[in-house]
Amino acid sequence: MAMILEGPLHVVSAIQNSIGNTWAHYVALQEVWEENQRLREEVQRLQGEQNQLREQAILAREFQELSLYQATAPMTTIPARIIGRNVSNWYQAIVIDKGESDGIRGEMGVITNAGVVGRVIRVNQTTAIVLLLSDPNVAITGMIQTSRDEGIIQGTPQGNIHMKYLPPLSPVQVGDAVVTSGLTDDFPRGLHIGHIQQVTKAATDLFQSGEVTPIVDFSKLEGVLVITSFRPVITDESPSSSASLPAPEHAP
Amino acid sequence: MIIAGYLFLCIGTVVAQATLSAMLSINEIYPDLCLVLVCIIGFFTNEYKGLMIGLTMGLFQDLLAPGGIGLNMILKGLAGTLAGLTTHTISTVTLSAVVLITLALSLGCGLASLIVAYPDLIGPEAFHAIVGTLVPQSLYHSVLAAGIFLGTHKARKAFGMVHSGQGIR
Repeated sequence: MAMILEGPLHVVSAIQNSIGNTWAHYVALQEVWEENQRLREEVQRLQGEQNQLREQAILAREFQELSLYQATAPMTTIPARIIGRNVSNWYQAIVIDKGESDGIRGEMGVITNAGVVGRVIRVNQTTAIVLLLSDPNVAITGMIQTSRDEGIIQGTPQGNIHMKYLPPLSPVQVGDAVVTSGLTDDFPRGLHIGHIQQVTKAATDLFQSGEVTPIVDFSKLEGVLVITSFRPVITDESPSSSASLPAPEHAP
Repeated sequence: MIIAGYLFLCIGTVVAQATLSAMLSINEIYPDLCLVLVCIIGFFTNEYKGLMIGLTMGLFQDLLAPGGIGLNMILKGLAGTLAGLTTHTISTVTLSAVVLITLALSLGCGLASLIVAYPDLIGPEAFHAIVGTLVPQSLYHSVLAAGIFLGTHKARKAFGMVHSGQGIR
């Protein structure tokens, strides 16, 4: 008699087990799905954090290079971060996060560890506007490093940099390095500006002129140094003056 | 509250101009977001609001620009006023009107800025500045203004702020 019940009992038990297993798996799957979602969110969060840390590392490296340069350079500088650029379409300018309260004054030179960036044109309380070297309203004195011929470095409306008024007999060549000549009060002598890309001199021209490729990529700038004061670099050209007179402190 | 909103818009636009314009640049052509927004506000409101917001936005822009204070203030105020005035002289502000007026205002403001920024610019360099920068920039402004106008117009229509056949005012 019991055998009559055993068959259906086994079937019902099997079905019950099956349903139970399915239910347990479903619930487990649900938990797995939820865990999966959680892990995905975690991965996204960690990726974001990793990206932030990578960005901070890049910035830290850049500022470390700047501070190393700042420590060894023969001038007093203030490091600044770039917080805005090209506010007006007709000027090649950047906005830095240091202003009058940090000791920044108008006409101070701005550099990176690579070379010259531009000049402070306007100072607010906590920010300052820097005109880049590629702006036509900025002109500094430069010289060809090898031949020591001097000229005026000035930007163009197209964002290029020209070196004007080079002596007509100057042996300037493509690839020659251009550095600051130190004749103006804002930059010491010998700071790298760029390289001569092209030399032009028409038959009727009194001077030669050249196109300069800047050493600094202005579009990728993130940090700069503002020159607050410097001692003129004593060169071999003036040994007597360096021996007899103390080098004066210049403040632009 | 409305004044605070407009003030927030002015500050936000100038900050966006300083931080995002490099992202929005196409082939070294940077849009003047302030000019575009002043024109749009002039179209959607009236010449008085266009003037006031133009002056405010121009002042904020001048504070972060290398040139002296005044140029952007005057130009943006003028642009806002003229954009607002067109909504009186043209009964319905259409897309083509927005494009053409923005283009004209952008060309005018750009030319004035160019003359003030580079007073000694003559010959091929001036030609290059006009053809290579001023005209493409003005076209870019027109496209941006058209995009904002269409987007805002559709949003206003969706929220029942515009009755069909009556134009946007």
